[in-house]
Amino acid sequence: MILPLLRYSLSDLLRSQRFLIPCVLYAGLLAVLFGGDPGAPPAPWAASGLALYPVAAWLAVTVANTEDPVQRDVTTAAAGSPWRVVGGLLATCLVVDVVLVAMAIVWPMIATRYEYPPQLVVAGALAHLAAAVSGTAVGLACARPVLRGIGWTALAVAGIVVVTGIQNWLPPVGTAIKALDAASPSLLVLARDVAIALALAALAGTLSVRFSRRR
Amino acid sequence: MREHGPVGLRMEGVGKRYGRGPVIVDGIELAAEPGLPVVIAGANGSGKTTLLRIAAGATAPTWGRVTGRPKGVGYVPDRFPAHLRMPVGAYLRHMRRVRCAGGDAAVLTSAVLADLGFTADPGVPMNQLSKGNAQKVGLAQALAGGAELLVLDEPWSGLDVAARPALTSAVAAAAESGAMVVVTDHTGIADALPRLRRMQLRDGKLQDGDAAGPCAVVTLLCREPDLMAGELATDPEHDVTVAAGAVTLTVPSGHVDGLLRRALQLGCSVREVRPLAAGARP
Repeated sequence: MILPLLRYSLSDLLRSQRFLIPCVLYAGLLAVLFGGDPGAPPAPWAASGLALYPVAAWLAVTVANTEDPVQRDVTTAAAGSPWRVVGGLLATCLVVDVVLVAMAIVWPMIATRYEYPPQLVVAGALAHLAAAVSGTAVGLACARPVLRGIGWTALAVAGIVVVTGIQNWLPPVGTAIKALDAASPSLLVLARDVAIALALAALAGTLSVRFSRRR
Repeated sequence: MREHGPVGLRMEGVGKRYGRGPVIVDGIELAAEPGLPVVIAGANGSGKTTLLRIAAGATAPTWGRVTGRPKGVGYVPDRFPAHLRMPVGAYLRHMRRVRCAGGDAAVLTSAVLADLGFTADPGVPMNQLSKGNAQKVGLAQALAGGAELLVLDEPWSGLDVAARPALTSAVAAAAESGAMVVVTDHTGIADALPRLRRMQLRDGKLQDGDAAGPCAVVTLLCREPDLMAGELATDPEHDVTVAAGAVTLTVPSGHVDGLLRRALQLGCSVREVRPLAAGARP
């Protein structure tokens, strides 16, 4: 149902240069972070995981704002429902999230000479996924059609990311990053954080649909 | 068709306001049945675009009910935007996939583009298209996808004159093959559609168009067009536009003589007076 819309939005995203800046910045950060001797996992992943939060939010805004409002009208009419359109955007963001998570997890495994037991790799991946999907939720909730000016969107995204990202008691991002402090992080806590992040992304999608029906 | 219950798109008591803004349309009653095009006339700002966006499912009514909208609507806005970076061919292919259109849709798309006189290469990115070519891409995605409902906002006005008959026959063909059509038009070209029903949107209310009576379009050359436009449009039924020094008024036929007398007294020169079919008022 949403596969054609996923392909449509992914295709325009890949043709745009707007996805490059956040991705290159993130790759640069990974290069610095894992370039020297970052220390034994999972502690270095806390930094790359936290950085993924704003990067994913930025990319979600890019994905959601690809079409101008009139073009979105045409697509919504063709798809028959704003749910399908927003579902396509959400799916696109999740695909991008998974790619970035894979990049952040695999990079130190290749570049550093520490042991990476499977349990730690899973923990790292879950923490990154929680941060990335939360970023998607924030981006989707602050982009068009919810907020229409890119200035307001940037302000709202930055505000939410800064305030929620540094609260280490606050699920999903805060608790997921904090869990990586432990030598053997709790997979249960991390899986819960991923589930909360997915629920937030679904909520952001619902908000987006509500606003597109109102505008 | 009535024996089998209502068929087609139906809007009942539909109204819309954006946020806390003014009410744009209200009390809209509209039925679009397969094969019977509905042609809506209305001045700028009368709520045409909002009405069509609701019909197309691009926005929801604030109150009222819309029923019978088929899945996948062919919607063409007033101005088809061209901001996407993907090539024309890719855009049309994606839209066909979104509509789950059949295999012959690709052939049909090229045929529609050719008929409309689309001049750019299908490999050209959407954001490099001219306004006219962008409009043709918009029409092609709507007309060639096998949509059961076509919602077209002033489709003829953005097209060059040579392409207009092709659009008329494409819309007529869609209607004859059982599509529902809701179209706004101020050019009068929609009169050529078979079995059409005219309606008129005025101040957010939709009425049967034939009740509005015949109108005439009067074009005047004036020294101070903006000032004269205000002097001459004395009735709320008068629709006035100023372009390139010319004042164009659309008025009920009965008002023409009085209007011309006043215009000549004010020093304007009459360039053209032509009748406008009932309901085709801009």
